[in-house]
Amino acid sequence: MFRRCAISVFLALVGICAWGRTRPHYGGTLRVEIAGDGITSSDATVLHLLLDGLTRFGADGALQPALATNWTADDGSHRWEFSLRRGVQFHNGDPLTADRVVASLNLACNGDCPWTQVHAVGSSVVFVGDSPMPNLPWLLAEKQFLISLAGTADGTAPACCIGTGPYQLAAHSSPQLVELSANEGYWGGRAFADKIEVATGKSIRDQWLDLSLGRADVVEVPAEDLRQAQQQRLTVVVSPAAELLALKIAGTGALANPMLRASIAQAVDRSALSNVIFQKQGEITASLLPQELTGYAFLFPADRDLDKAHELRGGLACPPLTLGYEGDGAMQLAAQRIALNLREAGFDVQAVALKAPQHPDLALRLLPLHGSDPAAAMEILLHAEGEQATVADASPAALYRAEHDFLARSTLLPLLDLPRAYALGPRVRDFVLLADGTPDLASASLEDAP
Amino acid sequence: MRRLGLIAAITTLLAPAAIAAPGPWDQPAAALAAQIADILGPGQAQLSVRNLSSIPNESIPAIRRILEQDLKQRGVTVSGAENANMVRVTLSANARNRLWVAEIAEGNETQVAMVSLAADEPQPAPAAGELLLRSEPVVSEPEPVLAALEGANNLVVLEPDTIVIYAHAAQGWQEQTRMSLEGRAPMARDPRGILEPPADGAGFEAWLPGAHCAGSWPQTGVSAKWIVACNPSDDPWPAAPAPIIQSPAQPPTQAGSASAAANAPAILKAFYNAARDYFTGVISPGVGVDLPAFYAAILLPRAAGSGALLLDTIDGKVELAENEKLEAVAGARDWGSDLALLRSGCGAGTQVIVTGSGEAASDSLRAYELPALEAAPVSPPLAMNGTVTALWSAPDFKSVYAAARTPENQYEVVRVSALCN
Repeated sequence: MFRRCAISVFLALVGICAWGRTRPHYGGTLRVEIAGDGITSSDATVLHLLLDGLTRFGADGALQPALATNWTADDGSHRWEFSLRRGVQFHNGDPLTADRVVASLNLACNGDCPWTQVHAVGSSVVFVGDSPMPNLPWLLAEKQFLISLAGTADGTAPACCIGTGPYQLAAHSSPQLVELSANEGYWGGRAFADKIEVATGKSIRDQWLDLSLGRADVVEVPAEDLRQAQQQRLTVVVSPAAELLALKIAGTGALANPMLRASIAQAVDRSALSNVIFQKQGEITASLLPQELTGYAFLFPADRDLDKAHELRGGLACPPLTLGYEGDGAMQLAAQRIALNLREAGFDVQAVALKAPQHPDLALRLLPLHGSDPAAAMEILLHAEGEQATVADASPAALYRAEHDFLARSTLLPLLDLPRAYALGPRVRDFVLLADGTPDLASASLEDAP
Repeated sequence: MRRLGLIAAITTLLAPAAIAAPGPWDQPAAALAAQIADILGPGQAQLSVRNLSSIPNESIPAIRRILEQDLKQRGVTVSGAENANMVRVTLSANARNRLWVAEIAEGNETQVAMVSLAADEPQPAPAAGELLLRSEPVVSEPEPVLAALEGANNLVVLEPDTIVIYAHAAQGWQEQTRMSLEGRAPMARDPRGILEPPADGAGFEAWLPGAHCAGSWPQTGVSAKWIVACNPSDDPWPAAPAPIIQSPAQPPTQAGSASAAANAPAILKAFYNAARDYFTGVISPGVGVDLPAFYAAILLPRAAGSGALLLDTIDGKVELAENEKLEAVAGARDWGSDLALLRSGCGAGTQVIVTGSGEAASDSLRAYELPALEAAPVSPPLAMNGTVTALWSAPDFKSVYAAARTPENQYEVVRVSALCN
């Protein structure tokens, strides 16, 4: 009798929960857990909630206006003028002005900017470049160029991350638990959740445990753990390819000889990386940009050819090499696997954890795959690697030629296109990932919000 | 015999036209063949074709034939000779276009040729059922469309920051003027608004969170401009308009009842929470019972001139306020949070059009009738190209309009009407 009653209650509860609703609820606290700090880490989850750029990428990768409402190019893309959105305020109440945007941008790239000069003209920001900058609006959507308050009116430097974003740092926020409250006057519409708590520095294991215990609503799922998450029947949202795992090969020092670099390129076994370490969750590639974006990625052969690697190396001498990697887990395993591949081709390679000032001969990197415009995506990717590769002609044939010529130098070896993924608790609704894999937490709402 | 002769004559007449009609692959095949021939020069080539795109595999032999013909016209003969150069054609695609790629191997060197062509649009299958909903595109915008008001000569579109006015042209609606609403307080993230014709029918009235705008039609015959005036306003919105009901002579029961509301003004006004995306539940005139906060409401005509207020509440329930009682409606589990009234003339004459409740990439609309406290579907779902973000009735209730955010992040407005079976 009790059992039947319990089942009835359960069904009744399910029935109540099953009532239809499509519009999101306002209110509640969204609890997010991440491994990085959310600010300097590659995901920049927190930074994207605090700051806006002049432009931004939508969920489909298309470029959208953000703090700039429109932009125009002159002089063969040597000069760009961005008109600022009116009535926007920083979290501390200071108005957004062109001067403040210029100050923020100058700090952002510290002299190593994609432009030669940036200055304010009325309520517009003007960029001038010695070289054409056809993809500047796309570059400005990158996290490096998010706008923050560089100095307050009284000259005192503000705390980290006073921006114009949909959330602002709460007074009692700490680096371990970043507490954010909704910016009521956000120009893009007030976010749905009243608060977001981001627990930083959490291991994936702890994140998943907290999700299962109902202590977290959104947790990370690294690509290599996607299969496990699916086996555990977690609700997982996966982005398209958002990062390129690539091997950076120094063009100087021990590997200055292009034949050695070409030999390394032939010796790496991408299939083993994909099948063993990333559990078939990455797409094998020898192209900078994914096949879905360009349609021509298949032209770059990705198969390992150890005979050719030996042939290219010939009798060339090569001193012991270091292969640096950032992070742990899959990146460490991938670096060790590549070192093994290269030893089979006659190279003496040691995988080492990378520390900031080091410049190893080889470095395993995760590079951004952002936006739906192939020419801009390539420039963003190469800009992240400190390479200048402006592609003015965006036709597939011109883009292919540019990519072909760049990869022929064998200084960057594409390996795998990787998605980003998050697992969600049952309270979370309307969760979407932007094209770069960043969660759009301001658009997420909670099922049980009051 | 005479019939056979006629068929033969028709076939003879049509045959040349059929041969001459260009197929979808002729132009890209010719362009790629030209590039290949430029690289190879006259001679022999081995040709292979593979498909990495959504082109049906049955079409590949035909594409290969066209390529072979085009190459032959340019002096490149496709053969199996071992000394022939290899040409590998890949029918590929990227996010925007189809991309046909030829890899042309000459000795140890491989050159590449490419041709881009537009991707096909998938054609939705027609729905079947008793009462059929059909949609016609009205306009597509890059910005969210909160509401639209279609007149004989003008279309007014309400966006979060802009009112856009279109004029009729031979090609359809052409943008005529655009008025910025900048300077208002920021909208909620799920922005909403209402457009209604004013009492005199000339122009429009727009309700937005915290603002009310009035626009008047241009004078005819002179170089007139639209006049739009917006003012801050917390006044209630016309949230539940209803068709004028021909009621028998019947004294109003009490001020504020649903019956009274359905009879005289035929418009029920509701206070909107400007910082959120719902109505507070406070309405004017009242219906004799406290209402919960709701996303959408419509006044359902009832027999004998009375009316009932149907609410889509913010906790996901569908409730009916009638005879000073508020009761849950059964059969509405699949309903989303938007609904509108349609006077189709089919079935009971009036249907409720509702959005689906799923979070699928593509939403749907469906017609229901509510003879009592149970909603019964009377049409198959009408698939929408994206998520429905707003739904409203035409002023005459003979159609409803829906704005949907497409997978391409465009906002499409469609006019939905019913076909009776």
